[in-house]
Amino acid sequence: VTTKHPVTELTAYIDGALAPAERVLVEAHLTACQACRLEHARLARAVAVLASLPRAIPSPSFEQGFRARLAAQKTARRERRGPFERGLWRWLAPTLAGVAASVGVVLYTGSRHRADEAFVAEHLDLFESYEVVASVGAVDRPEDVQVVAHLQELEARP
Amino acid sequence: MPSDPDAALMEAFQGGDERAFRRLFEKHGRAMVAFCNHFVRDGARAEELAQDVFLKLHASAARYRPTARFKTFLYRIASNHCLNELRRGEYAARRAVDPDRLGADRAAPTDPDTLTGPAATPEENAVAASLGRAVQALLAALPEKQRGAFVLARLEGLSYDEVADVLDTTVPAVKSLVHRATVAAAAALAPAAGEEAVS
Repeated sequence: VTTKHPVTELTAYIDGALAPAERVLVEAHLTACQACRLEHARLARAVAVLASLPRAIPSPSFEQGFRARLAAQKTARRERRGPFERGLWRWLAPTLAGVAASVGVVLYTGSRHRADEAFVAEHLDLFESYEVVASVGAVDRPEDVQVVAHLQELEARP
Repeated sequence: MPSDPDAALMEAFQGGDERAFRRLFEKHGRAMVAFCNHFVRDGARAEELAQDVFLKLHASAARYRPTARFKTFLYRIASNHCLNELRRGEYAARRAVDPDRLGADRAAPTDPDTLTGPAATPEENAVAASLGRAVQALLAALPEKQRGAFVLARLEGLSYDEVADVLDTTVPAVKSLVHRATVAAAAALAPAAGEEAVS
């Protein structure tokens, strides 16, 4: 039996947080030491009282309130992100249009293939659309590009 | 796929699955309110803090790595948030002078799942109220690290390993913190529980 009182170990012993070897030592000490038995009983009572305390539960509006705050956070995040991406597209759109136009001119003058002309014309229209749409701030996100790309399909529907 | 099911949900959320995040909220939201309430002892404020924790979680999901248990990740966010809340002097001052708060703690709802047996007698209610106030005073008096370890281990049921992860410290340190706080609790709660205080 150890003569050193396992003061700090008593709480861990109650919590079942000791290694098996430590646990055996504490149990042996408790058998022989009345002072530690009393301290153990006192701590165990406190632990039991604390474990019996009721827990607070949320009000019925807790979840709904959270969803509202989450929606507001998402909106705020989108608004913060918007100006950057809009600015990016305003910068990119004229550049892309210029590149497309140059390619178109080269292909138009350098080639007689109608298929290529059609390809360029089709994409030139698209780049010009980007420029127009971006200039009024309608393209906020890269995914919007896909929508713009398929605008003609939407218009063709009855 | 991680073995921790919550970590798997978090990974799904990182991949864009908002339903996974919702499941995490449904699973841990109530516990988070109870956890925050241990710090502020104010039901409405505890709900706000718990919501803050999940908003932070939503916004910082990219930082989560499945090598960490989700529970310790969540409680780490919550511990930091609650302790920051307590450090804000104006909150403590507001609580000290607001007369509307005086009965708020006693009026906080309690979890019916934890209530067993027949309805409590007036004497039992008085003892429970007295214990609640004693715990509140105890938590307010404990040093910050002891309070964090005590709430996590003693009131939330986390293992010492988990508490060490949450508080970013060692298991022996947690053992010492929890022990000292439990000794303080034994002294503080004895009168409220109808026992003689033993120092």
